Amino acid sequence: MTGRAYPPVDFTIDAAHVAAFAASLGEDADGGVPPTYAAVYALGATAAQLFDDPEAAVDFDNLLHAEQEFVWERHPLVGETVTSRGRVAKDVERRGMRFITFETDVTAAGEAVCRSRALFVIRSAGS
Amino acid sequence: MTELVVTFTEEQIAAYAEASGDRNPIHLDPEFARSVGLPGVIAHGMLQMGLLARVAGDPGRLRQLSCRFAGMVRPGDTVTFRAEEEGGRVTLTALNQDGQQVVTKATAELT
Repeated sequence: MTGRAYPPVDFTIDAAHVAAFAASLGEDADGGVPPTYAAVYALGATAAQLFDDPEAAVDFDNLLHAEQEFVWERHPLVGETVTSRGRVAKDVERRGMRFITFETDVTAAGEAVCRSRALFVIRSAGS
Repeated sequence: MTELVVTFTEEQIAAYAEASGDRNPIHLDPEFARSVGLPGVIAHGMLQMGLLARVAGDPGRLRQLSCRFAGMVRPGDTVTFRAEEEGGRVTLTALNQDGQQVVTKATAELT
């Protein structure tokens, strides 16, 4: 699946949703968009495409999120619509486990906002 | 040095699942979690990372954040998140009540 890319997803940063996310981290709801809200607008918006892709055949029940990196050019603002594009940067099997590196580029009006790189480990691949 | 001590609860994990949209049953359903070989429900890695971000520094200055999710965090676990900044480079740690690292290779960069 290495190289597989998914269609862009538009995501609007909603104030109430951001407030609920901030509250779940124990943060003030009026403190702006928490940086790791990228888990939603970048990773969440696009990883769902990978998990729902029958050809990628990700064994979701045995999936663990092993590593994560975000790099921001800036943080999005409430009310802004961003566009997230996910792709499988690497998909390998080692020691009976499957390792998927999934990258997401986020832009707004064509300008870079954030890049997400997730490593998913799927235990018991092929069994 | 900045420090944040958090005792995880099922309620906080469920609130994060709802707010983040990651409703994987390994975070919500103890029976399901055990059926896939886990000791019970575990916290989202991204919830741990969200707490790391809180100690990393001024959110507006955060330009990079990365970590490896090295250990499971379960309800009842108390994790101490710590950040040490030197010239915009931040070293982050998260240790549970037994002194085990729950994340490794955790770093951040501030502008």
